[in-house]
Amino acid sequence: MSAHTSLRLQVEGVSKRYGAVQALSEVGLEVRPGEVMALLGENGAGKSTVVKVLSGLVRPDSGTVHMDGRPVDLSTSGASQAAGIAVVQQEYSTVGALSVAENLLLGQRGARLWWNRGFLTRNADHLLERVGLGHLDSRTPVEELSVAEMQLLEIARVLARSATLMILDEPTAALSQAEAGRVLSTVRSLAEQGTSIMYITHRLEEVFAVSDRVTIFRNGRSSAPEETATLDTAQIVRRMLGRELGDMFPEPGPVDDKAPVRLAITGLTAPGVEAPVDLSVQRGQIIGLTGQLGSGGSALLKALAGFLPALSGRVELEGEPVEFASRRGGIAAGVAYCSPDRKRDGIFDGLSIEKNLSSPWLDRVSRFGILSRRDERTAAARSASSFALDTRRLGSSVGTLSGGNQQKVAVGKWLGCDPRVLLVDEPTRGVDVGARAEIYKQLRSLADDGMAVVVCSSDTNEIFGLCDVIGTFHRGVLTSLAPKEHWTEETLVREVMHSGNAQSETSSEVGSP
Amino acid sequence: MTDTTASALVARRQEVSQRLTRWAIPTVFAVLVAVAAATTSDFLTFDNLRGVLINTAVTGIAAVGMTTITLSGNLFSLGAGQSAMLASILFMWVASTGGSLVLGVLLALAVLVAIGLLQSLAVAAGLNPVVTTIAAGALIYGAVAGITGGAVVSAPTSAVGELAAFDLLGIPLPVWVFAAFTGAVWLFVERTASGRRLLLVGSNRETAVMSGISVRAATAWAFAITSIGLAIAGVFSASQLGQVTANNLSELTVDAVAAVLVGGTAVSGGEGSAVRSAVGALVIVVLQNVLLLHGLPTGVRILTEGILLVAVISVLHMARRKAMR
Repeated sequence: MSAHTSLRLQVEGVSKRYGAVQALSEVGLEVRPGEVMALLGENGAGKSTVVKVLSGLVRPDSGTVHMDGRPVDLSTSGASQAAGIAVVQQEYSTVGALSVAENLLLGQRGARLWWNRGFLTRNADHLLERVGLGHLDSRTPVEELSVAEMQLLEIARVLARSATLMILDEPTAALSQAEAGRVLSTVRSLAEQGTSIMYITHRLEEVFAVSDRVTIFRNGRSSAPEETATLDTAQIVRRMLGRELGDMFPEPGPVDDKAPVRLAITGLTAPGVEAPVDLSVQRGQIIGLTGQLGSGGSALLKALAGFLPALSGRVELEGEPVEFASRRGGIAAGVAYCSPDRKRDGIFDGLSIEKNLSSPWLDRVSRFGILSRRDERTAAARSASSFALDTRRLGSSVGTLSGGNQQKVAVGKWLGCDPRVLLVDEPTRGVDVGARAEIYKQLRSLADDGMAVVVCSSDTNEIFGLCDVIGTFHRGVLTSLAPKEHWTEETLVREVMHSGNAQSETSSEVGSP
Repeated sequence: MTDTTASALVARRQEVSQRLTRWAIPTVFAVLVAVAAATTSDFLTFDNLRGVLINTAVTGIAAVGMTTITLSGNLFSLGAGQSAMLASILFMWVASTGGSLVLGVLLALAVLVAIGLLQSLAVAAGLNPVVTTIAAGALIYGAVAGITGGAVVSAPTSAVGELAAFDLLGIPLPVWVFAAFTGAVWLFVERTASGRRLLLVGSNRETAVMSGISVRAATAWAFAITSIGLAIAGVFSASQLGQVTANNLSELTVDAVAAVLVGGTAVSGGEGSAVRSAVGALVIVVLQNVLLLHGLPTGVRILTEGILLVAVISVLHMARRKAMR
């Protein structure tokens, strides 16, 4: 085809079948030089298989791949790198104890056998400049960087391999919105310098911010690329799901000012919550806390869960003061908590859905210490079905589920102990659009059933769409708290971003105390 | 709708690897038995099989108990041999002073469980289990060797030996206890809330803590059950031998760890079973027996055992990794 020469990457007719599963069927994909191509699709739609094909980890059954018009061999990951393809992984591959400059040299092809400081620094400064980390001293140990800086460093490491096509797989999944902005602007500037970029994300607003065109995957098939500017969110979601999503966010229940207060917090401080917090949650309400990462919302939830000791203040559940010095105390008081990092401490990766679901309420299905497997199964099935999890798959291990279904397990396990308060930190991190809507719907229906729900998220869109009362945190201080009607999405974003700017200004002026 | 190709694919792969981990050891076992039966005339005799079972019992009981430590995510007890030796000495000491066998068994159980619980406190508080159990083993060995002065502790053999020689339906007591203990530990892990919590802590300690599960209780259960197994193993060993010194059972730790590993319980915890460790112990003894019947020298026997261990662990490890990615 004549089009070959003007395209950086052209993938044609790539299919891959695993046993009875058709992971990819006749997938086509193209990226122009200096273009940002967004790859969208639900988990399991085929995006990651395509990335694996391009990075030489999976050999397709059929199809061709051209780079700059020439057919390329992608049989090994070395061959893929040699062809100019580089993948920035979600997991960081940097070595914490080494300096930024040293990390940049790790795994670089054709690196010198011995280095001196001068060479290291020259090599590093150039690369850091290109990813917007020019201010960074290349001698800093990597473990002192922020998460966003680590992500940018990861991109710089890939740049060091002089790639012409860079694949970014959810680079902002662990970043707050403000930090994600830095990554996005780096992506744009790399594209302007001529690098072609394939950008995979679950955050639709990023697609509009950064991409030139969009390719959508569904059930192992790819759509023809479309100009981003000609699309809107609804159209993208419809193409991803193959159906209308309806509204992403469920309708809140009727406002009832006289609804009893479920959870009342007065003057609470805790590690990470610097100024006393007053907050009350009425029956049926969802409270949303937002801010940049580490700004205090997460710490407040942890303290309420009994995981961090509260330093001062009172917490009342339905009018009764509660004091929980441990997570078990919190659970006994009826407080369910889902941490932002479900892989780390939200799920048991290697165990079945059933064993995961029953983990907090084993006592309820046992007598004299003997488990009743039948009761366990019945109760687990009840939790599973109310969270739209397939009850026939209770026996499969949670590690095999998509991010969305894992999150449903992490939240759903608490239903079995009839909690009075549900605290959820980052309810939809790494969760695809379809599962997101289900989780929102579920949180809303739990609130309607009378549970007090407090959600903390760095995704302001989510907080704005889901919650009845919204508070923003900045540097450990609850800086604003108001019912949803008092906010617009714009004022909310501004509140979060503005305090972020104020923070960096003051810190650079004042310096470290 | 949300579960589409990729997760179905992972599920399928995991199924394959689960099948592999579940059936690898029984298959190895069956092959070994078939080879043994085909190549030697002595293997399938009642006396030889009985001998194999008797030889497995002590290691097997220790391995089955220790499986709970591995399942709870605390690797192994590397002081197992010394603990069992202490049980031997205590049992023999009671017998030699004219006390009843039951008293000896109870004393061994009580002392070992107490020592096990102490270790579990240290481990649950965050001390490395390997370091803790090695240290405990060294302390026990030092204390026993110091007190006995390295001398042989013995008792009238006929009385002590009764325990190991007691025969039911042609099978001696240690074999019955081995089977019963395996069943009991399996039931504990599969059917009790405490056993399940032990498994959960081993699978993911952080998630367990977040779910309100006490790491200390789970670790205590694991060490207590392991100690019970070691006490029984020590008592039977003493009963079989009729005399004990501080240097007895020095190979039990390695043998029990090998049995747990060959059985396929995950070193990282959270996956495995007592039954598997029992089969693992049987595989090792049958292998040794086959090589012995073929008249191969000790060096070759140990080498072959080592090769089997490495092969099984590598295959299982790779199968698990495949399942995860």
